Amino acid sequence: MSQSLSGGELKQARPLVRPLVRSSRSSSWGDAVFAGLAKTAGLLVLVLLGAIIASLFIGGWPSFRAFGLSFLVTADWDPVQDMFGGAVPIYGTLVTAVLAIVMAVPLAFGIAFYLTELAPGWFRRPVGTAIELLAAVPSIIYGMWGFYMIVPFMAEWVQPPLIDALGDIPVLGALFAGPPFGTGIFTAALILAVMILPFIASTMRDVFLTVPAVFKESAYGVGCTTWEVMRSIVVPYTRVSVVGGIMLGLGRALGETMAVTFVIGNTNRLSTSLFGPGNTIASIVALEFPESQAGSLKLSSLLALGFVLFVISFVVLACSRMLLQPGRKA
Amino acid sequence: MTSTIEMSTVAVHSDAVLAEPRIRVRGLDFFYGANQALKSINVDFPDRQVTGMIGPSGCGKSTLLRVMNRMYDLYPGQRAVGEVLLDGANILAPGVDLNQLRSRIGMVFQKPTPFPMSIYENIAFGVNLHERLSKAQMDERVEWSLSRAALWDEVKDRLTASAMGLSGGQQQRLCIARTIAVRPEVILLDEPTSALDPISTLKIEELIDELKQDFTIVIVTHNMQQAARCADQVAFFYLGELVEVDTATQMFTAPKQRRTQEYITGRFG
Amino acid sequence: MSGVVSAMTGPRRDPAVADRLSRRRRRMNRLVKGLCTGATLVGLVFLGLILGTLLWLGFGGLHWSVFTEATKPPGSHGGLLNAIVGSLIQTLIGTAVGTPVGIMVGTYLSEYAAGTRLGDAVRFVSDVLLSAPSILIGLFVYQVLVSPFGAFSGIAGGLALAVIVVPIVVRTTEDMLRLIPVELREAAVALGAPKWKSIVLVCYPAARDGIATGVLLAVARIAGETAPLLFTSLGNLNWSISLTRPMSSLPVTIYQYAGSAFEDWVQLAWVGALLITLGVLALNIVARVLLRPRR
Repeated sequence: MSQSLSGGELKQARPLVRPLVRSSRSSSWGDAVFAGLAKTAGLLVLVLLGAIIASLFIGGWPSFRAFGLSFLVTADWDPVQDMFGGAVPIYGTLVTAVLAIVMAVPLAFGIAFYLTELAPGWFRRPVGTAIELLAAVPSIIYGMWGFYMIVPFMAEWVQPPLIDALGDIPVLGALFAGPPFGTGIFTAALILAVMILPFIASTMRDVFLTVPAVFKESAYGVGCTTWEVMRSIVVPYTRVSVVGGIMLGLGRALGETMAVTFVIGNTNRLSTSLFGPGNTIASIVALEFPESQAGSLKLSSLLALGFVLFVISFVVLACSRMLLQPGRKA
Repeated sequence: MTSTIEMSTVAVHSDAVLAEPRIRVRGLDFFYGANQALKSINVDFPDRQVTGMIGPSGCGKSTLLRVMNRMYDLYPGQRAVGEVLLDGANILAPGVDLNQLRSRIGMVFQKPTPFPMSIYENIAFGVNLHERLSKAQMDERVEWSLSRAALWDEVKDRLTASAMGLSGGQQQRLCIARTIAVRPEVILLDEPTSALDPISTLKIEELIDELKQDFTIVIVTHNMQQAARCADQVAFFYLGELVEVDTATQMFTAPKQRRTQEYITGRFG
Repeated sequence: MSGVVSAMTGPRRDPAVADRLSRRRRRMNRLVKGLCTGATLVGLVFLGLILGTLLWLGFGGLHWSVFTEATKPPGSHGGLLNAIVGSLIQTLIGTAVGTPVGIMVGTYLSEYAAGTRLGDAVRFVSDVLLSAPSILIGLFVYQVLVSPFGAFSGIAGGLALAVIVVPIVVRTTEDMLRLIPVELREAAVALGAPKWKSIVLVCYPAARDGIATGVLLAVARIAGETAPLLFTSLGNLNWSISLTRPMSSLPVTIYQYAGSAFEDWVQLAWVGALLITLGVLALNIVARVLLRPRR
């Protein structure tokens, strides 16, 4: 073991004599500095949130002051008269996001179910990765792809038959009336749905995987089919987190800019038809901001819309975050 | 040298006379929040000898070990009252430099804890915290500590390889080498072999026997045979109290307390 | 399950009912399985369609001049050099500024603020910022950096991207540090290491792959971000690498070109879209490989 060691080396065994109480506090200095840096960084995050809210609110203040709460419900957007109301983009934001969720959630559920219970083991990883890669594609690509691929497709194949078939029915027909441009609220929602699909699907997959195997095994043990295990064990067990995942997708859809801007049609008139053009908060900001004078009421109105969007997404994301909190039981 | 008691096959290895104490614990109480885990403990740890601490799970033996290098300071809500005297100085006193304290009282854990770096860097890490050595001096220190830990021959050709690639037993000996490289006076071992196979365990036990020439050693163990094989002094803890402490020979041949006897003969625990 | 109760043997199944039920349940099971497999196919088809379109339209316009020429007026065979360089510069600024802040916040959450109210608040806000609309980050930076100084600039674009980087790095750093066993920290402390040294010299190396993954994912995310750059670095059709002047970037150039009426600009937009997508997907795949457990 230590035969090879010379006596000189063995002398090292004698311990260093170190005083227990030291006068200098250099080591605790390092700790204090590092802890201070870490805490400062943490506080910076809070300051960042406060600054974002404050900057949008201060920027939007002239508009809020000029139009009051009616800013939220009036549909005028008239730069010539300097009259601005946010109803059209607020309506567009909510409708596109909700429609997108309605389209994406069933698909996302199917994908998550497939990936956790149905796919053969060797197949789960590549398919799961492919779905996650879909989430990584930048939103501008979705916008451009939607503009050049989905819009002509909608104009040619989807909208004309639907308008023909449903356009004459009273009430319901109003939703499908108008010329088949291919752009509009429905197309924007469709592209949003494709965009948020992978987010919701992978969140759902992750929460489905948290169900302890023993629950599922005991359900299979009494003779349940895969679908029955899903419906009666997995979904109830993960219900809260699933809703959280959907809210996360909703939050993304509400604030998405580039995917929508290309295809929404950019108009500030309220359209009852889903095929009609519209605007969302994000798209009107992206499209009209470059044409706004610094200090103008228009710019202020755009910032005010930004503030409204921030409040809406904050509420949705905060709900999502609370529902998804780890350790919370369904 | 070896003696047995009729109720078990415990073989006591040491018949040494206990040396002067290096650490004295006086009236120590310990609390996890409102929970008292140690009750007025008084015990001495003899210099350059091995003290084995035994007792059933939750009896407080590991807690006492973690008081001796103030590891509990990492966790708010844990506190110790009383005195732990290292060479007469109370390490529980305010103003004690914990980093210095821990360089004088090293610790080896239950599971091997190699750092995610090379074997060489694992040793150098601790040394660099307390000393400024030249490259040559550091090389010498690394070789010395690895040799003392009976690991040098196995790793001398791959010092720059990651320590994570070593076997469990080798990792544990690396952790011992890392601890002694700092040149402490006391080494605390918290069930150092419970995660290891029998052959690695044997090597570590031989190592402990070798190291006690230079270091005061305190070992917590679940394994009665291990305590008998390694320890000069044995302390038996039960429900936060020190039931009995004596030389290993005395403890394993003629324990004074009935509870001690029942525990070491396997009637409970 | 319904059954006929017999005094002798207890409840018994009616075979006919059991059979009917079983067949219906199996049919339902097959139907749902089919629909879910179909949903997965739909997802994969979308990925295939997007990549296919990009490859088809993007590769057609791929030419050396894309990498050697700056953007030029329509019809004069421009490239994307200034956009690529601008994107690299702004992504670099965003990563260089956002990563250290994110790592420090993650360290704070994992090592210092566990269980404290302030820590919970910081974690909550960081998670909300993770999904906050990126266009609002652009508006924010416009308000605090562009409007007061009266100039769009590359540095403003980079800082807007940094705001996006921070929460991503916070999330992965905290998660990865929390995975480190408590014994490893104790082992470092037991050697006499002060807390900060045990974090920097032991915990960071142990979490290195995970943190690197987070940084790569953040880079992938900001490399494709358009909205936060619209009002910060604005875009620049001329060659400029000055940080205090408007700076071009690939996503903004794609946005401008794709919506234009000029065929060669649209073609270049597809090329840019292909480059960005391949880059972003490659970063994601590298990140995934990094995070895969070794051995």
